[in-house]
Amino acid sequence: MRELTIEELAQYNGRDRKPAYIAHRGKIYDVSRSFLWQGGRHQAIHDAGTDLTAALEQAPHGPELIEEFPLVGVLVEGKEHG
Amino acid sequence: MAKVTREVVERAGVDVDQLVELLVKNAAAELTTYYYYTILRVNLIGLEGEGIKEIAETARIEDRNHFEALVPRIYELGGELPGSMKDFHDISACPPADLPADPADVKAMLTVLVEAERCAVRGYTHICNLTAGKDHRTYDLALAILNEEIEHESWFSEFLGEGPSGHFMRRGDTSPFVSKFLR
Repeated sequence: MRELTIEELAQYNGRDRKPAYIAHRGKIYDVSRSFLWQGGRHQAIHDAGTDLTAALEQAPHGPELIEEFPLVGVLVEGKEHG
Repeated sequence: MAKVTREVVERAGVDVDQLVELLVKNAAAELTTYYYYTILRVNLIGLEGEGIKEIAETARIEDRNHFEALVPRIYELGGELPGSMKDFHDISACPPADLPADPADVKAMLTVLVEAERCAVRGYTHICNLTAGKDHRTYDLALAILNEEIEHESWFSEFLGEGPSGHFMRRGDTSPFVSKFLR
């Protein structure tokens, strides 16, 4: 299971043929193959490469639709740079 | 474009460009669903299929009506439809309602139909949430469409054995909620 920080997750935004990943409750899902995430955008509002935990609270669907996608990693705290 | 209409919606705190994009995507979903439902409907044959054909046809016609009702609001708010039908298809707010590999499998047919309606129910709920108390005309339109999409879902859900829809099918008329936007 891959470990990505929020900054690393941002690279997987679904644009320029990059994979589209989204995070929810610490888990990272690959939505690249979803018709509803074309170009890394969903319903004109949500972007891939981000943590959608808070956004899902306002969404007209529950986490079950996200959990159908391949689980590819976990979200971790930012690494210290020294 | 209706300039003041757009201004008052913006001043109410709605991102109008985002809203227009959503309306265009949902208009695409309605027109493409109308197309895909045409294929599903003609394949609903035999003892089981014939029983579902009528509601599939009603849902098909009402989805076309939803497209017709959405278009004026898109242009009022300063939006437009894509020039390319192919582009329009590909930006749909819902996935294509493809004919199942075995059209004689009525459960598979119903699953395609109910999933399409559930996508629409989510989409219009989302638009209602964004516009409630802020953009009264779009809210009224989205709510009218939502009412019909909920009924479509309940019809197909009933046939899938998920429980009674709680109401009768249409009696000759279509779009009881959206028709006021079609006059």
